[in-house]
Amino acid sequence: MDLRFTDEQLQFQADVRAWITSNLDRPWSEHVADARHTPDSLVEVRRQWQKKLHEAGFLGMGWPEEWGGRGATEVEQALFEAEIHRADCPQVPNFLGIGLLGPALIHHGTEDQRRRFIPPMLSCDEIWCQGFSEPSSGSDLASLRTRAEPDGEDFRITGQKVWTTFGPWANWIFVLARTDLEDRYGGISFFLVPIDQAGVEMRPIRQITGESEFGEVFFDGALARREHLVGKPGEGWRIAMTVLGYERGAATLSNPAQYDGYLHDLIAGVRAQGDLERADVREKLGRLIVENEVMRSNGLRTLANLAAGQAPGPESSIEKILWSEFAQRQSDAALELLGPQAQLAPTSRDARGGVDWAYEYLWSRAGTIYSGSSEIQRNIIAKRVLGMPTR
Amino acid sequence: MQFDLDDDRELLRSSTRDLLEAEAPLAQTRSLMEDAADGYSKAFFGQLAELGYFGLLLSEEEGGAAMGAVGLAAVLTEMGRVALPGPFLESVMAAELLRRAEGEAAAGLLRRLLGGEALVVWADREGLAGAEPGPTETRLESGRIRGQKTFVPFGAQADALLVTTTGGVALVARPDAGWASTALPTLDHAQRFVRIELDGPAELLTLSDAALDEVRRLGSLGAAATLLGLMDRSLEITLAYMAEREAFGAPLASFQALQHRAADMLMKTETTRSAVFRAAWASDEGEPDAAFLVAVAKAWAGDAARRVCGEAIQMHGGVGYTWEYDPHVYLKRVKTLESFHGSTRAQIEAALERAPIAAE
Repeated sequence: MDLRFTDEQLQFQADVRAWITSNLDRPWSEHVADARHTPDSLVEVRRQWQKKLHEAGFLGMGWPEEWGGRGATEVEQALFEAEIHRADCPQVPNFLGIGLLGPALIHHGTEDQRRRFIPPMLSCDEIWCQGFSEPSSGSDLASLRTRAEPDGEDFRITGQKVWTTFGPWANWIFVLARTDLEDRYGGISFFLVPIDQAGVEMRPIRQITGESEFGEVFFDGALARREHLVGKPGEGWRIAMTVLGYERGAATLSNPAQYDGYLHDLIAGVRAQGDLERADVREKLGRLIVENEVMRSNGLRTLANLAAGQAPGPESSIEKILWSEFAQRQSDAALELLGPQAQLAPTSRDARGGVDWAYEYLWSRAGTIYSGSSEIQRNIIAKRVLGMPTR
Repeated sequence: MQFDLDDDRELLRSSTRDLLEAEAPLAQTRSLMEDAADGYSKAFFGQLAELGYFGLLLSEEEGGAAMGAVGLAAVLTEMGRVALPGPFLESVMAAELLRRAEGEAAAGLLRRLLGGEALVVWADREGLAGAEPGPTETRLESGRIRGQKTFVPFGAQADALLVTTTGGVALVARPDAGWASTALPTLDHAQRFVRIELDGPAELLTLSDAALDEVRRLGSLGAAATLLGLMDRSLEITLAYMAEREAFGAPLASFQALQHRAADMLMKTETTRSAVFRAAWASDEGEPDAAFLVAVAKAWAGDAARRVCGEAIQMHGGVGYTWEYDPHVYLKRVKTLESFHGSTRAQIEAALERAPIAAE
């Protein structure tokens, strides 16, 4: 066993930390608490932050140099993500583009597609959203019904997509659509579609947090050009599923790093209100600390296995269940221990500052639903790890 | 980075599994817990001594195998898988305390312990009520020890005790007339706990301040590793039963409600493996957060094992409640290990105290 980072990796971590300190003018939570901000100006903060990260060479680090990468290892990417999450940085608008579309283009796209789309995606001159889920196809994604019909050389897309994160601000959407209505998996293709055209209508969806970060998209004969088809017709499902497996090392340490900050905030709050010596409070806090540390141990194990060249297994399902369910318990505890002040809007002058626990409480409800619900993850564990039969 | 065991420790783990399957399988555990007065096989422990298992942590110069906490955790996980009865972890802890003590008495006893000639166990706890050990009141004055210790594991069979007193750890040899002990039978039929009245000659061990904490921490880690083995095998037994048992014309394993419970059992088991081996590795490397990580591992393992081994009974249905089927053997050992070597609540408190993010 060896769970130690090398001197070079630790130096890289220190460099990232120093870079964040000198480049993050204002933590994200302060922006959110600033009543002068509008949803648009908050997206602009995120866009500017992404530009800075890109200029410093931190985005798409694992990609080939030609596409803005530096051939970073899994460990370096994990350390970078952990530092970013520790430091309360804004989330970059193109996180799905960089996480999913970038690898899809690098591994399955054409040279022209890479040249055209990767640079503005990294610089955030174009914002991408993802068109996978549909109103009738959530957990059962392969049942999707949006179709792409040939129109000369090109395609016309008709159907509806939903839960398109950053959709209301996006310029482009990557879409899974049917080129064959019969073939469940082999009939799905992967398209890049501009949003600013007749035949595409984007409507924001208001979430339980009150924000409209998600949208729903209506396609009515929208044009998708032949040169914007990724891979061959019918390869969309395979491409989408394989890119979900790339760069999974990057997230192994980021959740515990972020929750370290949250727990620190919670403990400081409990201490300030004079409750830290209560036995019931200590047990609650102690359990959260234990659970978060176990998540870190599990992440280190996953990362070590990846670094040792082992093929990634279904441990990402375990990880997803762990952090999404932990986040709910953590915010449950915070609202209980900190009392009603923690429910105040962050823009209220009487708000406590620090972590916006009311927001975290509501937002964490989504974590067990998106990206494969907890039930889907348990199905994956039962079938792929435990080899249990389907009825 | 590498999570897997290195070649030496992997060989230790696999040869331990082979040894246990051949010489101390679960069937043997069951017959010992029901029929043997001692509750364990002295012959098998003699074999363990001969193979050097009590000296796993000793350096090669000391005649040990220098396998470290990671090696010990691998061995105890295997022992947990067969719910091996007997004072193995207690013997390793005694060896670790004796090797840290100065003087010929300690050195001589250590040699006999390693050779399998003497059983030495800790007598640490006082009082019967309460989740945590009571305050230490046992005294050593003018070479004579007086007090009462409770829940001494395999104490009646011990040749010597390491007794915590108000003035430090005392070494007490078994009196010629035997210990003044009373059996404390618990729900775990493989345990042989006793209460011991001490009133006789004893010798104070010369130990550093840190020694006692170090050995206690090793006990917590060892208990967590044993808990991992208990749940690992409970899950296996349950999966085998789910594959074979049919209801409504289909194997239990095909029912989604049960699949999700089995998935949770796997998650508890694998996260415990991550926590236990990271803590063991940090202990071997002298990492500054090693004590924190051991507390985390023991706290997590106790809760996780209780859930997994408890679920094993439920998933077996009615036969899970029978003496004949094995799940209860595992759950009972879990209850012992949960309560000793730092209870779950005590470890949660220790984790909070030691967590870097909880510092002011």
